[in-house]
Amino acid sequence: MTVAEKKSRIESLARSARMVLRMIQGRPETPKSDILYFKMLASYYQRILNAPQEGKPVIAHTVFFPTEILYAMDLVPMHTEGTTWFSALFLGNTGDMLAAGAEQGLGPEVCSAHRALAGGFANGTLPRPEVVLWSNLVCDNTAKSGELLEKINRCPGYFLDHPFQHSPDEEKYLVAELADLVDFLEERTGRKLNMDRLSETVVRMDREIQLLREIADLRKAVPSPFGPMSFLKLVGVDYMFTGQPEAIEYLETVRGELAQKVKEGKGCVPEERFRLMLMFIPPLYLHNAIEKILAQFGAVMVTEPYFTAWPEVKLDPSRPLESVARKCYANPPMRMYQPLDDAAVKFYTESGEDYKINGAVNFAHVACRHTCATVKLFKDEFNKIDVPLLNLDCDILDPTSTTEDDMRAKFEQFFELLEDR
Amino acid sequence: MVVETRPGTSVLDRFREVNAAFPKTAEILEWKKAGKKVIGWLCTYVPEEVIHAAGVLPIRITGYSREMELDDGNAYLYINNCSFSRSCFQLGIRGEYDFLDGVVGGSTCDGVRRLFDLWRIYLKPSFWHVLTVPRKTTERAHVLYYDQCRRFREHFEEYLGFKITDEALKQSIEVMNEQRSLMRKLYELRKLDRPPISGAETMEVLNASFRMTKERFNQWLKEYLEELKTSGKAYTPRARVMVAGSVLTNADFLKSIEELGALVVTDELCTSTRYWSDPVVVDGGKPPLEAIARRYLDNFPCARMYPSDGRFNRIIQLARDFQVDGVISEIIRYCVPYAHDLPLLIDRLKENNFPVLALDVEYNTSGSGQIRTRVQAFLEMLEARRK
Repeated sequence: MTVAEKKSRIESLARSARMVLRMIQGRPETPKSDILYFKMLASYYQRILNAPQEGKPVIAHTVFFPTEILYAMDLVPMHTEGTTWFSALFLGNTGDMLAAGAEQGLGPEVCSAHRALAGGFANGTLPRPEVVLWSNLVCDNTAKSGELLEKINRCPGYFLDHPFQHSPDEEKYLVAELADLVDFLEERTGRKLNMDRLSETVVRMDREIQLLREIADLRKAVPSPFGPMSFLKLVGVDYMFTGQPEAIEYLETVRGELAQKVKEGKGCVPEERFRLMLMFIPPLYLHNAIEKILAQFGAVMVTEPYFTAWPEVKLDPSRPLESVARKCYANPPMRMYQPLDDAAVKFYTESGEDYKINGAVNFAHVACRHTCATVKLFKDEFNKIDVPLLNLDCDILDPTSTTEDDMRAKFEQFFELLEDR
Repeated sequence: MVVETRPGTSVLDRFREVNAAFPKTAEILEWKKAGKKVIGWLCTYVPEEVIHAAGVLPIRITGYSREMELDDGNAYLYINNCSFSRSCFQLGIRGEYDFLDGVVGGSTCDGVRRLFDLWRIYLKPSFWHVLTVPRKTTERAHVLYYDQCRRFREHFEEYLGFKITDEALKQSIEVMNEQRSLMRKLYELRKLDRPPISGAETMEVLNASFRMTKERFNQWLKEYLEELKTSGKAYTPRARVMVAGSVLTNADFLKSIEELGALVVTDELCTSTRYWSDPVVVDGGKPPLEAIARRYLDNFPCARMYPSDGRFNRIIQLARDFQVDGVISEIIRYCVPYAHDLPLLIDRLKENNFPVLALDVEYNTSGSGQIRTRVQAFLEMLEARRK
């Protein structure tokens, strides 16, 4: 990788998004939502590039961090894991970042997304942020990644301690942690939190959750109106623009497109044969290949309990910080983080029935101990409703862990099994 | 390493007998036969005093004492969860912990949290409780953790059908503090230029402390301290080392290091110093449970806690106090909190002139093969530095 390339990881992402946009804009079959999505992606990374000229601090943060607060302070968020994922998805190359992460002393048990982001900051492919923010949502990797990033970037940081369980006292603790976060950011950036702006954001967050729930409902239709792996766009929008007008516009557009398809009885693949539940995100460097394999076999991911199944929650704009905390607790990945009680286990099998799934797929990301430790449990539970589970060993970023051919062979076998049933 | 000894049986043999029989030791089986309850706990953030004060025997859940094939552990918890969790679960699913009336854990790390989940689902203990353990030690975190301890106490009382009195808690604090104080005395002996006890022997004592009644353990440890004073035993090592990192209960791992001439004089493990290091400080006016909660959250921190400097500073202090020549870090594969801390810890130790050997291990490895070669090279380097 040349020095010029090394310096422009964010620029490459912005450029890739613009290129995709140019390609799809001219095609009559392109849904409007896709155009909005790639516009958002381009503008997200462009904003990071423009931040120094505009005098806005770039704030690096880990996954599922409540960025609503950053937006309400007119700060520029940079999603750390998201950026490594998008690098694998759009640029297909995270090797240099992973190698640089290993040079920082991070062993293979550390999640590749976190090794890559530490490496990306260390080798200069990611811009140095003003501040690093991280929390224990959703795993030990997020909880432990921040201090090394502070050191590499020689910048201050704040760790948001998200309690493990949900009780009024624990929610109160999280609200106080958020209040301290605001104090920290105000002190470090010199920018004040605009509470009215945060309240407006809360109104939109509420709307966003409602739209995500409506979209989830529409995906129950047979045939499924939503792309075989399009859920990643829903996740991506929440990562990048949570509570922002762009997210609302995108989700309203998706909902409208799906409602129209459902009305017309149109599916996203020509002949839907298999409806699948997804347990964890795929290897991102193989995302497009997997989507093609699924489409080829008439398979569609219809629900992803860890990522897109939002519970019913009512946010209160008159209590903005409390609402941000409530949203943190409502976030679907909390299902990974919190205790797996009987109700949580039942939720999966009930979802399986609601969505009329034929099978479940788990991408067993080598560093995700939360989801991998439930593979046997969910196999047992899905057996009770006669649904087989396909488990695929992989790494979400590291292309040496598995190949497209390997994925294809395993999916083919799985679909044969489903067909035979 | 030169060892001077006098012949005769040792209290240490009694501790070894307890460990050899674990999990189903004679004392545990007798306790059960008397109709009394046994609760297993996982993680040093579980306040043992609450269990003890109820007249229930607290037993620490650990895995096999040797590195084993973990077929059941792998099947249920998957290969990428740490071998400690898999080992514990395998013992559980094979019925080795069937005497337990319940299990209590803390929200420490991903591997152990999932171990709790699967233990609850597949082993169906009659009592089950997980405490939310904050990762910070701010006053707010103390308020939350105290509340968690209160909830645990109430839930446990509900299960037992009687109240755990403050008086009983105070008595349990005394018993547990005595254990901590005795352990401190044992460790003080390890500061000597020629300590009378090795790291492997200390681990035998520590392991037994999790597996028998506190009262009997304290009695035996008092006897052992007396014995050590008069034993004339003295180790003269090639190098004094500290072992730091993931959970470890296999004394043979330390023995394999010591067979190469080193002496493990101190440790930073949740099964050793981090278990016993700080006493509960009772403030007359405050409820004893509050003092217990404060001690557990403020105790020598696990790698899960923030900021990591709390742990690093205490490691460096230990290294100085015990005059170690070097530090051996042992991290179980997929032990993420310790793996994240490692580069930062190595920097801090090097800044303080302590060389580090970082080993990737499986839980309760005996330290053979490549590990021996690396330790040997490390010791040679330490010796060269001293010359």
